[in-house]
Amino acid sequence: MRGCAGAWALVIALLCAREAAGQVLPEQPISIFGGHVVFGAEVTATFAPEDPGFFNYTSYEFSALRNVRLGVSTEIRANDRIQILGEVRLDQGRVLEAYGLFVRVRPWPSRRFAIQAGRVPPTFGAMTRTSYGTNNLLIGQPLAYQYLTSIRPDALPATPDDLLRMRGRGWLSNFPRGNNAPAPGLPLVNTSEWDTGVQAHGVTGMVEWIGAVTTGSLSDPRFRDNNSGRQLSGRVAVRPAAAIAIGVSAARGAWLNQPLEDDVAGESADRAQQVAFGADAEYSAGPFLVRGEVIRSAWQLPMFGDLQLQEPLVAIASLLEGRYKIAPGLYVAMRGDRLDFSSIRGSRGLTEWEAQTWRFETGVGYSITRNVIVKASWQKNGRDGGRIRKDALYAGQVLYWF
Amino acid sequence: MVLKLVAAVLAVTALAGGDLFAQAQAGIRGRLDIRRLARPVERRPDVAAPGAAAPRDLPNMRRGVVYLETAPRAAFDERDPGRAVMDQRNETFVPHVLAVMVGTVVDFPNSDLTYHNVFSLSRAKRFDLGRYAAGRSKSVRMDRPGVVRVFCDIHSHMSAFVLVFNHPFFDVTDNEGRFELPALPAGTYSIVGWYEGEPRVTRSVVVPQSGWAEVDLVVQ
Repeated sequence: MRGCAGAWALVIALLCAREAAGQVLPEQPISIFGGHVVFGAEVTATFAPEDPGFFNYTSYEFSALRNVRLGVSTEIRANDRIQILGEVRLDQGRVLEAYGLFVRVRPWPSRRFAIQAGRVPPTFGAMTRTSYGTNNLLIGQPLAYQYLTSIRPDALPATPDDLLRMRGRGWLSNFPRGNNAPAPGLPLVNTSEWDTGVQAHGVTGMVEWIGAVTTGSLSDPRFRDNNSGRQLSGRVAVRPAAAIAIGVSAARGAWLNQPLEDDVAGESADRAQQVAFGADAEYSAGPFLVRGEVIRSAWQLPMFGDLQLQEPLVAIASLLEGRYKIAPGLYVAMRGDRLDFSSIRGSRGLTEWEAQTWRFETGVGYSITRNVIVKASWQKNGRDGGRIRKDALYAGQVLYWF
Repeated sequence: MVLKLVAAVLAVTALAGGDLFAQAQAGIRGRLDIRRLARPVERRPDVAAPGAAAPRDLPNMRRGVVYLETAPRAAFDERDPGRAVMDQRNETFVPHVLAVMVGTVVDFPNSDLTYHNVFSLSRAKRFDLGRYAAGRSKSVRMDRPGVVRVFCDIHSHMSAFVLVFNHPFFDVTDNEGRFELPALPAGTYSIVGWYEGEPRVTRSVVVPQSGWAEVDLVVQ
């Protein structure tokens, strides 16, 4: 409710005072100390009715469609070789986090090669680095990056039926082993938080590559390690022409809390892994932009007691989105995406371990000024499990950046 | 007798604002002194980028525009406004400031290997050229006077200005701030020195029958 009031206040402030906003609010990054320190910011007010099916809930336990976010990013340019970058985000006026904070070293400033260490941006996927403000064509986030499945890093089902009982309840699931308190589950790829580690990036001709070693996993990026595992992730993207970009990604990392895993499976040296592969493509020309992405994620579970799953839990996300500019400052966009899951055998036979979920969203965006954008969208969600299986939501968003 | 007739014809023509002799000789020139140069727009801190961006050129921020606030009648005679070019090179618009007459077609070639998307939401001209690749060019006809701010939708640090006038009495200064407004009929004019952002200075200048009226303008 507080988020909604803040959103409306921002809408009124921006729409009624366009000229004033243009005069008073910065319209370009703020640079001090001769360009050695540069600040940018993004304010996003998103408002929508309640989401009774929890389709848009994130790991921070609020709906992505009901949020006021302030993000301030800073770059400290010590010299050509060393920069420190960071971003602080304030969500819903209360969740304050250093989203990213890392040092970037460029051993050869004339070459496009850099090493980054700290809380680094995601390596995997094409849209994981999208801020979901300015770069998001719509208001909702892709299911692969936001939708919460039922599995958790700190709790485990004791039987396949425990897992199946939580189908469609990822926004607040609970299991008998480990932490019994209800808590949000894991998305396929968590873009609400960034992982901590070392990352290398290079560009050679039409090929761009990224590789990283980090502490968490795709589903559960971490600031502090919760197991002794390390995630290895990589991505290669090729741009054969300016219009086309094609990329493939892979990641492998331990995803369960070590004490829990040790508790249920003994002192095994092998940690339960999340293994993911992704492929993406983008085409743009003139007023058109089309993107598509497919991600396959597999979470391995420890085997203990009655939980004897030989195969990992698999989820496949696929999305296709597009934008068409119909006039200067005005565009229409749409996105379709879905999540499919592998089956496990419970007491009632073979069943998908999570409820298949899909979303269709369409909307418009209009630039009042270059850096003040309003969006409106309509989304329809569906899944084949849980208490609420379908819902449709309208959402609005006002966005200001510099 | 013949000399008197020629002198009378020249005087009448001058009053009508079409004195060829005066146009060849009279005008305003001087220097626009920009006391505080604007800084090129910085790249936004792209914390989400896995690596550093490609190097880019910085725009020339030393140039302003000087123009007549009110122009002589003959300035509004129909003439071919022609074409102008604003290139996109190393993620920079070149030139950073362009001044043209109403009706001018401005070409925006893309000389980079990456995509650009030129657009403007200015009242004087609202347009969006979409994404186009290296070697291609798209054009816009500037059909209303005013200041057109030009941006790239993909590279937020790319920005430029196109000043559109309904008369030909304007000049983009050189790097030292020098300008010339030639071919002016004798009279009193109000001239304006413009620099990006809000700085603007206005001065009244008397142009003689022949020769240059010298004036220096200062924008803070």
